[in-house]
Amino acid sequence: MTPEDANRLLQAYADGELDPAASLEMEAALAASPALRAALGRIRAMSAAIRENADYHTAPARLAAQVRRALPGPDRQAWKMQWRFAAAAAAVVAALAVVPFLLRPGGEDRLAAELFASHGRATVGQRMIDVASSDLHTVKPWLSARLPYSPPVADLAAAGFPLAGGRVDYVDGRPVAVLVYTRRKHTVEAFVWPEERGPARTLARAGVNMDSFSAGEMRYWLLSDVSAEELRELAQLLGKS
Amino acid sequence: MDAAYNLARWLTRNGHDAEDVLQEALLRAYRFCDGLRGEPRPWLLAIVRNACFTWLQQNRPADLAGGDDRLEEQVSPAEGPEALAARELDRRLLNEAIAALPAQFREVLVLRELEDLAYKDIARVVDAPIGTVMSRLSRARRLLADSMRVITRAARPQVHE
Repeated sequence: MTPEDANRLLQAYADGELDPAASLEMEAALAASPALRAALGRIRAMSAAIRENADYHTAPARLAAQVRRALPGPDRQAWKMQWRFAAAAAAVVAALAVVPFLLRPGGEDRLAAELFASHGRATVGQRMIDVASSDLHTVKPWLSARLPYSPPVADLAAAGFPLAGGRVDYVDGRPVAVLVYTRRKHTVEAFVWPEERGPARTLARAGVNMDSFSAGEMRYWLLSDVSAEELRELAQLLGKS
Repeated sequence: MDAAYNLARWLTRNGHDAEDVLQEALLRAYRFCDGLRGEPRPWLLAIVRNACFTWLQQNRPADLAGGDDRLEEQVSPAEGPEALAARELDRRLLNEAIAALPAQFREVLVLRELEDLAYKDIARVVDAPIGTVMSRLSRARRLLADSMRVITRAARPQVHE
């Protein structure tokens, strides 16, 4: 783990953004390291200083009045509703404003970006596997007990993809199952959750291939540094099983 | 409304411009209104944020320079006994130091510390992956700590005079 990754994890811990398993790991690391405790103290002191001392600029009263006057419709009682509509409209406007601004991906591409990031963190952070076992009868109940659904776990050792274990990750605002298969010395992560059927797609970023497809009621996202062909092979095996 | 104004005020660094940008953004949001979707607050902040960046591009392009996401690891020179006691610092110095941060670091700091948004909501507002939000926040805090250390050191002799 690079100092940058360690710093980000520590910060996420200070902000209460780590999942329970990672928090426990962090607490163990903190107990063992005075330097880490000092670093945490610095982050918290900084945070407290900003919250206590930085200016919070409240909107001038006349601004609300100006906006209200400029809006169509005489019904001022409906102002609160209009606020909610205005907020909702941000979906449209944000999309319109962002396209010329940065050409950033949205929607499913945001999800793909999140998955690439999660895969990257797992790879560098060595926190890829919470339950290490090649036995699907160990991995599947472990995951089912921690998720609102029961992910399919296949034994593909005979086909050259032995199971190494699994973990629960947090993607798109919900906990999801990640199965970790191995291919020679490489690992392949399979994110899987229930979702309506959608078209298969492949992506590649910075040497990591992604293959996404629907099988049964599940959507799979495979990520690995193995070749796109090998990923497709695993996709077909998982789709059949 | 306050959250939207606070973000606009911190990004434009100017009360008058913040009002103009915010008013225009809200009216535009209203015009495009086509139903209720998602959580209102991050969406509203996203629209205000985009309006601010468009405004900055047109009126203060220099403000958008100087902050990229490259993560050069800067080892802070004074991690030990010199470590800052941020609480004791003058309000004014802290506010100046935040205002001096590059815009994309300033915004994540304001959204996290002053609006208390979760990482995933910040990611929606600034339209970046959560990993990027974490990096920028970490960088923002480090830049702030470094600049405060410089400011306090510079300010100390005056205090003693």
